[in-house]
Amino acid sequence: MSVEVEVDESDLAEMVEQVWESYLDPEGVSPLIPTYDENQPSEVHSSVSITGSWTGHVVYASSRAAAQRAAAAFLAMELEEVSEEDISDTLGELANIVGGNVKAMLPPGAQLSLPQVVLAPEASARFPNTERISGVYGMWEGEPVSISMWQSSTDNKEEGA
Amino acid sequence: MKILIADDSRVMRQIVVRTLRQAGFGDHDLVEAADGKEAFDMVTAEKPDLVISDWNMPQMTGIEVLRQLRAAGNNVKFGFVTSESTPEMKSAAEGAGAAFFIVKPFTAERFDEVFAPILG
Repeated sequence: MSVEVEVDESDLAEMVEQVWESYLDPEGVSPLIPTYDENQPSEVHSSVSITGSWTGHVVYASSRAAAQRAAAAFLAMELEEVSEEDISDTLGELANIVGGNVKAMLPPGAQLSLPQVVLAPEASARFPNTERISGVYGMWEGEPVSISMWQSSTDNKEEGA
Repeated sequence: MKILIADDSRVMRQIVVRTLRQAGFGDHDLVEAADGKEAFDMVTAEKPDLVISDWNMPQMTGIEVLRQLRAAGNNVKFGFVTSESTPEMKSAAEGAGAAFFIVKPFTAERFDEVFAPILG
């Protein structure tokens, strides 16, 4: 059963800022600029599931161009050198890093899954019986990026069952 | 020194390698494993002096690798680089004999602080 989660938007924003400072924008020249638009479009996304003291998903979604740019930053490569596999791996690691940091703020007894990567819009994903409880939405060098938390409802009835 | 980097993400292994270089430890012999089982096997085959391991990996988790190594009598210096850092994980790591616990995202300064005493 899930408890009320104590991870709010400012916590998520701080985790995201650390990812930018460490890997995506170490020189501090291209931060994620908040748009507060939870409906901004995405072309690719990744997620990790957390189960136990809190149950839900942490989702990283962006345009394909932003994912390519993230992979180039992670690998210290030029944009055109980045492969499809690099993009998938980077997206998975981004969800893993944010998900792991979220997990650290939860009550003891939470488990983190391995990341899932889908090279399709977040809107294509269906997490049954969940609601979005928090998110950071922004533009990174003009490209949409979002990180959101989806909480599973406490009853585990299958959707549509 | 030979250093084994174990992470199922190739991107993260490259970031660890790059950060080791940035922190001034690029001259060591670096080898990589792509999951926990491979890490366990490579510790036996390659005999590294230090293992830098992810926690959450397919086949075997990092803590399982460490526990099995210790159970087999292998005392290689071993620590974690992970996005997860709960008190229970840290205490499990310490209890199993881990030498360090680095949380992602990390910086070259953090690597220097942890590895300078180990790598010199």
